Amino acid sequence: MNDDKTIVCRCEDIDIETIRKLIDQGVTSLEEIKRITRCGMGPCQGKTCGPVIAREIAMKTGQPMEEILSPRSRPPFGGVLFQEVLEGIDDEE
Amino acid sequence: MITCDLLVIGGGPAGISAAVAAGKAGLKVLLLEERERLGGQLTKQTHRFFGSVAERAGTRGIAIIKDLETVVAQLENVEISLSTTALGIYEDGVSTALKSGKMIKIKPKAIVVATGAFEKFLPFENNDLPGVYGAGAVQTLMNIYGVLPARRILMIGSGNIGLIVSYQLVQAGAEVVGVIEASPKIGGYLVHASKIRRLGIPIYPSCTIKKAFGQDRVVGAELVRLDEKWKEIPGSQFTVDCDAICLAVGLNPLIDLLGQSGCQFKYIPELGGQVPIRDESMRTNVPHLYIAGDLSSIEEATAALLEGELAGLSAAKQIRPGQSLEARMEEVKTHLRALRSGPVGEKIRSGLSKLTGEALPTPSPRTNAIDELSRTGIASPANLAGVLPDEKRKKTRAYAVIECYQQIPCDPCVHNCPFGAIKPFSDINDLPIVDFDLCTGCGQCIGRCPGLAIFTVDETRDGDRAKITLPYEFLPKPVREETVDLLDRSGKCVGQGVVKSVLNTPKQDKTTIVTVEIHRNLVQDVRQIRVVQKS
Ligand SMILES: Cc1cc2nc3c(=O)[nH]c(=O)nc-3n(C[C@H](O)[C@H](O)[C@H](O)COP(=O)(O)OP(=O)(O)OC[C@H]3O[C@@H](n4cnc5c(N)ncnc54)[C@H](O)[C@@H]3O)c2cc1C
Repeated sequence: MNDDKTIVCRCEDIDIETIRKLIDQGVTSLEEIKRITRCGMGPCQGKTCGPVIAREIAMKTGQPMEEILSPRSRPPFGGVLFQEVLEGIDDEE
Repeated sequence: MITCDLLVIGGGPAGISAAVAAGKAGLKVLLLEERERLGGQLTKQTHRFFGSVAERAGTRGIAIIKDLETVVAQLENVEISLSTTALGIYEDGVSTALKSGKMIKIKPKAIVVATGAFEKFLPFENNDLPGVYGAGAVQTLMNIYGVLPARRILMIGSGNIGLIVSYQLVQAGAEVVGVIEASPKIGGYLVHASKIRRLGIPIYPSCTIKKAFGQDRVVGAELVRLDEKWKEIPGSQFTVDCDAICLAVGLNPLIDLLGQSGCQFKYIPELGGQVPIRDESMRTNVPHLYIAGDLSSIEEATAALLEGELAGLSAAKQIRPGQSLEARMEEVKTHLRALRSGPVGEKIRSGLSKLTGEALPTPSPRTNAIDELSRTGIASPANLAGVLPDEKRKKTRAYAVIECYQQIPCDPCVHNCPFGAIKPFSDINDLPIVDFDLCTGCGQCIGRCPGLAIFTVDETRDGDRAKITLPYEFLPKPVREETVDLLDRSGKCVGQGVVKSVLNTPKQDKTTIVTVEIHRNLVQDVRQIRVVQKS
């Protein structure tokens, strides 16, 4: 398989070769991989790549999926403009 | 700040059902839906739903949703807010949502989250080429916008979604070059597999995709066979030409909003991956937070509707105690258990037992009668022999042949025989059994089977002519006295026949019932017709 042509994160255009190299170097958490590559920081917020990368980590390290996948997420869900936030505040008083 | 008793997030079947149940129990409900209309997955489903008639199975997804919309619109205390995306659930019980360019705040007494699921992705070479689609996108283009995404499609995944979307693609005029499946067995219901096999679509079990070909768009794919350990068999690669690759490799629950709220999760592959922990009444570990539908475990609309109702009732019970809701809650739980009690529910049952920590339920007894069928999608002569009447009965009257060999939770057929000739089920997973003393071969059942697995055969006349009546859901419709091609269970043309009747009234709801006169020797082979295109 041509690993550099196999895309894992469509939002940020990251291929599987990049991910595998990082795991081999000892970068074995989703959070670290995200910070290095921007995987999971695009519009879909890791919904596409998260499970795929988690499986790669699980295969290479033997960690259970449950420990790799962090269910913690922060609001807001999806992107919001500052203007949209401000419009909402005006409504309150 | 908007206040209400119950906030429901997600307007698919689960969310609507929760809103209706809570609304009927007197709660002031606000239902948020991101899209411009209610319905979730159902808005794209043009096929007849399998499942329980009590939950509207046997009708098309798009019709079910119209029905649900009417029911929810009648409840004055349920407010529906469309084109509204829930953004956050905060610890202090406030939720935020985006509506018409404003971030609004809502303070409900309880929340039901029913955000459904999203599609899994698959790594393979060139998987970012234009022409690689998710099944959901294909359905949105085709069934909502009327745009055919491609001409020759390779389907990846033989679960119900892969099988049903393949069928819909053929209805829309595309060609499906094949359905591949990594597992040695077809993943979806076998009636759906048989439905596409007789259209001539091959299904390749133990097979996966290695790469897509093409420079700036998909022009083909390289596939490879897998052994019993799911390892690639060296040298077994083969290629197909196609202009699109459709991924139908499963769904993951859409848990983002719950992840913000302190809800706990467990990784249970049988239920779709990371799923929220909840009790049998759909309550999570966070007080006043409930879930329902595909978000809780990837299942079907029947389950989503029941779970939604349960979540709505649980919330009502908590907010407005003193109403007698328990009886109905128990009924819904019983119904859900029955739905999951058959062989195809085994995965869900084992997943749920991991969730609740209960002992693993006893596995359903295994039969190997459908082993061959579950590799090929084609019924064996032995399968068929088990559903036919004896020779004497064949000669006396027309009769129904129900080619439903796999126990699935589905019951529309039983409710649609005017003569009560399909024996009542004791369990929704029962196989249909025809009482040939009562069956008149009238064919009323044909159009109601979501698997399109019922045919009637009339071999009462002397001579070499006989008649077969079958369902037909393609355009153009055949006309009387037209000569059509006769296809067998694998889609092979085995002869020609003359159309004797075409029943296509509003009652059939686009499942045309066609009777064809054919050679007597072919009555148990022909299961599909093809209108011969006049050039
Ligand atoms: C091709 C196909 C065929 C199927 N066939 C059948 C069948 O024959 N029989 C059957 O029983 N089932 C069938 N199903 C399954 C069935 O459609 C689903 O199980 C069911 O729709 C799940 O319902 P739900 O309400 O949980 O989720 P969905 O139907 O997915 O609804 C979720 C809703 O939540 C909304 N939402 C998500 N996030 C937010 C947010 N942040 N704010 C606001 N709204 C949000 C979404 O827009 C969506 O409308 C099929 C599914 C597919 C894809």
